[in-house]
Parts: sequence; structure tokens; C-alpha cells
Amino acid sequence: MRGILGKTLATAALLAFTVGAQAKETVVWWDFLGGGDGVRMKKLIEDFNNDHKDSIEIQGTTLEWGVPFYSKVQTSAAVGEGPDIMTYHSSRIPLGVSQNVLVEITPDDMKTIGLGEASFAKAPWEAVHVDGKQYAVPFDQHPIVLYYNKDKLAAAGLLGDDGLPKGLNGVDNFAAALKKLQDGGTKYGLSTVTADGSFAYRTFYSLLCQQGGTAGSDGNWLPGDNLQKMVNAVQVEADWVKNGATPKNTDYPSTVALFTNGDAAMMINGVWEVPTMVDLQKQGKLFNWGAVELPVFFDHPCTYSDSHTFAIPNNVGKAQTPEKHAAVLEVIKWMEDHALFWATAGHIPANKAVTDSAEYKALQPQATYAPLTANMIYDPTSKFAGVASPLFDAAGNSLTPAINGEIDVTTAVTEFRDTLTDLQ
Amino acid sequence: MLKTRKNEIFAALVLIAPFVALYGWMFIYPTIQMVHLSLMNAPLIGEGTWAGLKNYQRLFNDRIFRVAVWNTAYFVILTVVPGTAVALAIALMVSRLNGWFQSIILAMFFLPYVLPVSVVYILWDWLFNVQFGVLQNVIQPIVGHPVNVRRTIPWFMPTMAIITIWWTNGFSILLFLAGLRNISREIYEAAELDGASRVQVFFRITWPLIWPVTVLCLTIQLILQLKIFDQVYLFSRGGRTQATMVLVQYIFEQAFQKNNGGYAATIAVALFIIVVAFSVLQFQAARIRRAT
Repeated sequence: MRGILGKTLATAALLAFTVGAQAKETVVWWDFLGGGDGVRMKKLIEDFNNDHKDSIEIQGTTLEWGVPFYSKVQTSAAVGEGPDIMTYHSSRIPLGVSQNVLVEITPDDMKTIGLGEASFAKAPWEAVHVDGKQYAVPFDQHPIVLYYNKDKLAAAGLLGDDGLPKGLNGVDNFAAALKKLQDGGTKYGLSTVTADGSFAYRTFYSLLCQQGGTAGSDGNWLPGDNLQKMVNAVQVEADWVKNGATPKNTDYPSTVALFTNGDAAMMINGVWEVPTMVDLQKQGKLFNWGAVELPVFFDHPCTYSDSHTFAIPNNVGKAQTPEKHAAVLEVIKWMEDHALFWATAGHIPANKAVTDSAEYKALQPQATYAPLTANMIYDPTSKFAGVASPLFDAAGNSLTPAINGEIDVTTAVTEFRDTLTDLQ
Repeated sequence: MLKTRKNEIFAALVLIAPFVALYGWMFIYPTIQMVHLSLMNAPLIGEGTWAGLKNYQRLFNDRIFRVAVWNTAYFVILTVVPGTAVALAIALMVSRLNGWFQSIILAMFFLPYVLPVSVVYILWDWLFNVQFGVLQNVIQPIVGHPVNVRRTIPWFMPTMAIITIWWTNGFSILLFLAGLRNISREIYEAAELDGASRVQVFFRITWPLIWPVTVLCLTIQLILQLKIFDQVYLFSRGGRTQATMVLVQYIFEQAFQKNNGGYAATIAVALFIIVVAFSVLQFQAARIRRAT
């Protein structure tokens, strides 16, 4: 309807002003960025529009993160009413491709943008490809990290002279550190989301990878001893909860609140919470804090990550005109070039030119955790995996009660695997 | 004579045609399409292949479907009759007030009804929050420890019922109040002269006279609550969605999350049949009660 109205208006406008002033290209933009990063994205869009006053205008809309966003993209693209460009999680790309929602990004497109394989870290670059074809341009990498309260860690003797935590590697050492923090009068050693197994899956997946394990693939989930490795991973968190080091059944906002009000000395959460800390500290309402790569609980460092990417929806019956396509590529190029500001949202820019810059290296705590990009693991390439996917759902259903001691961890992980195997 | 009658029929047809066309296009056609889709093995969007009754076979062996039917039924039991009873009680109390004061109190009871479900969700989520929620001060002394009502299965549906009654009660209260105002004051005066007690007045006069309104309220509530989705979806996100699944949520999950358009339509057909059966049953039951 809006499309028809728009077309009518555009035709009327064309008829009225037959004198050919150069048409300004509008780019309809959808994203799902509703938090502190959304504020920063709005600023980027505003800056872009100011830079392109005469040529391109982005018309941005923010939609609800997760299933609502992806259902809307799928249904609107099917009838040609999707946006011109949208943000997309790289972990959702296999599903998007299977649903025919995404348009391929051609090597020519990448040449126009001026970026290529060498511009990105390996994991996010691979994650935007399905069967050798590229379907999106990585914009950032957003792993989970360990936030810590410097004052509390220092008091417990867990802070090195460099201001970084020490003595946290290894499951037992970490548990001992949590106990030390609590003996020192802190209510909880660590806060992390325990009411949502799908959120906690990010931690479990990291710990699975730290043991050299893999989630497997379609029809062959958690093969062989990977089942046991996943059990080990979930057991770590279940033990924190059992010992009272981590609060039971706690949801996302409470997790952040417990850390920021000093009730918890550390927090495992996404880098996207960095703006919350920065903003609170600016108002003088926060202690000294930092964020680092997840400790090595098992054999080697490894952390779950995902990417926000830019993708072009496959608007059925309404392919982009060359002019529109050029404008969309200009938007992507501009955003990639200005990703330094996006880094203030906590995310690690995917464009290496940005992360290698001196300005980025001066950014704290971003520069401290940025090296973890060498140890990242992305979701398995499957149409059942990714944020808000059936896999996340299965994790919520099976693993939530295991974290909180309601069912045995082995039973829960077996149920998790069986649910995945039944997906078709 | 015959000619005028013909004219009249023609005029009638012309007058109802737009409605029939619209109704056929917007309601009947999609319903037929839904039944057709339920016989297909189809994704949410795009062509499917003929599956015959396979989806229905799957439905009968589907454990989660049974859980969803039970949870929906449980929710209906917890909300329809209790909700209507609470609305009636509040309406009786409000009707005793007068003038401005009555309007203010009525507005207070009606206010939640105006709220969108997202606001209701956030409000109650904070009230019940396991770490900081004020309602934990009520739960803790009774149970002995804070309870996350979103994640503790036995607490889930009753909590949803309380929230839903709080949220949707305003409309029923309004209907009851209108019904109460329709009862002539003279009947009450006569009863008073005859020395009827307040209990007698309620059961002999008020209750029988507002019975039609009660039937209406129960029917509206029944149909509404059989279609429960928003609250349950919002509160169960990320947790044990399968244990707290309700029917519409299952349709949503199959259609939008798992891309099974055909199977989602099958569940929708099942829900359609359940809603029709229950509405007819309830209406008949209410009529029998009225006739005696």
C-alpha cells in the first residue's frame, strides 16, 4: 500500500517538475538495534545524511530484535515490500539463504565498496558465505566478554599491576576466585543470565570450543565425545549457581543491574553492554571497571561471537535499479569507513583498517578485548542455528532448568541434542 | 405488486453485496485457504506439495501439541469464570458509588485495559523480578525464597491468569455496570418494602436480571482467552517455551520460526474447531440455564 502510494506520489512529482533536477536517491533501511548501539547507529545515519545532502537519504526504521525482525523481513521481501538495505546477523544467513530472502553480494559489488577477503577477520568473512557465495558484508564482531569491577578484584588480590584480572584461568581457579570475592563481602562473584538458556548458550558454546569441541552439523549434532564436552561446559555454570556464586534464575536486565550496583564483582555478557558502563561512568555512577576476553576455563582460549552485517533483501518482483543499488553500496562503504564510531557501542569493527588505526587502539576497554578476534568461534553453518533460531530455542528449553539445578546436566544436554536431531 | 417485490429483492441484494463480497474475500476465502494449506507440505511462503492428511496424523502424535492444548485449557479455566466473577464483584461495588467519585474509580479499573501488551509485560516483569521485584516481598514470606514466576513451571500459568484478569477486566466491568444500570430502581424499592435481605436482593433480582450480560461476558472472555498468545510468548521467551506452550504460540512458532506453513495451518484448523465447539457449547449451556 505504502509502495503504491509512494509510486503515485513519485509519478505526480515527476509530472509536476518536468525540469530535470537530479533525483535524490532514498535508501530504506531496517535494523534491529534498540539498545545503546541503536543510539549510535542513529547518529551514524544522521551523519551519513548530512554528508550526502544532495544525493542519498537513508530512511531508517528500527524493528524488534529477533524473531519479529526476521519474520517481517521474510514476509515483506516475499511480496517486494522489504527495505533496500538491512542489518542481519551473520549467524542467520544460512537460514535466510534457504528462505530465499537474501540477494548475493557480487565480487563487483565488493570492488565498488573497496573491501575484500583481506579486509576482514577470517571467521566473520566465512560466516557471510554460503556455498561459496557472499550474501552480506560484515560490519562488526560482537563476542561475549568478561566485565569486572576493578575495585573488588583489587581488594581480593585478583588484579595485576597492569589493571587486568589475574588468576582466573581454569575452572577450579575461577571458582576459587569467586569464593574469594564473596568472602570479601560481595554478594555474588559473577552475574550472568541464568533465566535464559538461549542466552547462556553463548557461554556454553565458548566453553565447548575451549575443549576443542564442536556443535556438529545438521542431523549430526554434538557427535561423539562432544556431548560430554557440552555437559562439562554446562556443568561449570550449574556449579556456580549451586554454590551461590551466581544468582539463580536471573534475567538479562537484573544481570546488568547486579553488576552495575556492585552486588556482583564480574559479569559475562555481550560487548554491547559497554555503552551502559561508559554512560554510567560519565554520570559518575560507576566504579572502575574493565572488560577482557573470557578466561581459559579449559585447554585454549575461545569465545562465541556473531556479526552484524549489511544485507540486501530479495524483494520479489522489485529488483533494485542500478541507481538504487549504487546508493546502497555507497551506504555500506560509508558505514564501513566510519566504523570507528560504531566501536564506541562496544562492537569490534569488522573492517581491519579501522581496528588497526591508532584511534581504535586508544579506545578502552575495546582495545583490551579486541585481540580475542583471533580466538573466535561462530555458530555452525546451519539453517537451524543463529540468534533466535530453533537451536537457541532448544537451548532455552533444555538448558535453563539444568543451569538452575532443576534437572541433571547430562539429561538436559542429551535432550538438547535430541531436539536438534529431530529438526527437519 | 410482484414487480415491487422483485425490486425490493434486487435492492436488498445490492445493499448487502458489498458486505458479502468483503466478507467472502477477507474471511471465507482465507479460511478455505487455511484448510487447503493444512493439507500441504508447505513453507510459510511459496509453493508446497500435497501432503494429504499427513499433517493431521502428525498432530495427533505431537506431544507439544497436547501440552499446548492442556495449557490453553488450563488458562481458560483460570481466567474465564474467575475473571468474570471478579468483574461482577467490582461492578457491584462501583455501582454503589456516585457522581465524580464513581467515574474516577471506574477509570482506575478501566485504565489497564487501554495499555498495550508490551507495557503490561514490562510492568509486571519488574513487579515480579526475582532480584528486585516488589512482589517478591509477598512471595518470599510465603514460600521461603524468591521465585522466578516466569521460569517456575507451576507458577507460570496462574501468574499469567492474574495478569490477564488485571489487564482485561475493565471491559467486563463496563458491560456489567451497563447491565446493572438497566435494572429499574422500582424493583429494588419494592423488594426493600417487602423486607428482602441484601443477599436475597442479589440472588433473586440482580443476578437473574444481569444474566444475559454475564453470558455475553463469559462468551467474549472464552473466545479471547482460547486465543491467548502475547503474554505467554513475552513471558516465556528464552526459557522453557515447550512446557508453557499455548496453541496460538505453537502456530506462531511453526509458521514463523520453523517455516512450516502447512503444519502451522493444521494447528490453526484444530484451534478453529476448538473455538467453534466451545463457543456453541457454552452458548447452549447458558441458554439452558436461563430457561430453567
